[in-house]
Amino acid sequence: MRPRQTTGAAPMAKINVTPIIDVALVLVIILLVTAPMMSMSQLPVDLPGAHARDTERANFISLTMTADGTLALDDKALGGLAEVAPRLRARLAEGRDKNQLVVVRADAKLPHAAVRRLMDAAREAGAVNLGIATSQITGGTP
Amino acid sequence: MMRRRDQGVEAGPLSEINTTPLIDVSLVLVVILMVASPLAFESSFGVHKGAPLAQPAVIEDVPERVELAITGENRVEVNGRAVAIDQLAGALAPLLGTGAPKRDVAVSCADQVSHGAFVRVLDIAKLNGAANIAVAEK
Repeated sequence: MRPRQTTGAAPMAKINVTPIIDVALVLVIILLVTAPMMSMSQLPVDLPGAHARDTERANFISLTMTADGTLALDDKALGGLAEVAPRLRARLAEGRDKNQLVVVRADAKLPHAAVRRLMDAAREAGAVNLGIATSQITGGTP
Repeated sequence: MMRRRDQGVEAGPLSEINTTPLIDVSLVLVVILMVASPLAFESSFGVHKGAPLAQPAVIEDVPERVELAITGENRVEVNGRAVAIDQLAGALAPLLGTGAPKRDVAVSCADQVSHGAFVRVLDIAKLNGAANIAVAEK
């Protein structure tokens, strides 16, 4: 036990660490929550809007295709459609869950043929659960 | 500033609430919301693997599943019958609503139709009771 500082009238040398711990813990929580979301490509994709929502899983593999056909698996760029199947197969093998959801994030302006080729490539890679990404529309009717 | 100095001299009770931690936490919450809001509004439809071609004879006898063929941006065929996109909800409701034997939908889509139009049809089908959606391969 240290001697009582108040009686000695010494200057208080202790820094108050409570706020820094507060903020640090909140940052840890943010990172925990957003880490699965961050494994998504930052490529600009105009997702098709939809009212209905279906699959609500935080942990999924994202396969992104922009309006000009640029591809990405999670947050890593892909060279072309031929790369999709081998890279996705390797990515599926990494995880423990073989039935992991693969979400196809395709731009609304793409022709359906391009999206279907991408989905076919994903199935070829062994993706069992496939989802089509949509942006949520709240309110109104289609 | 003046008040605080006055209080120190008068040694009155410190009645101001320390708002610094509250502001800290609020600002961090604002940052979280800014980062997470575009991601939170993303959802997805689960789709299954569909048979390459429909079997019309089977559909005539037992409506095991509803066949949707998207032939153009605003043209849809429900079990082979052409329906305008704004009448699709009305056409699907009796087929997929309560009491329907199976609520499976098989969707085939023409190549040139935009992904947005395709998802709009899936959305209408989902909202009218489709449980399983299969996308046909070509």
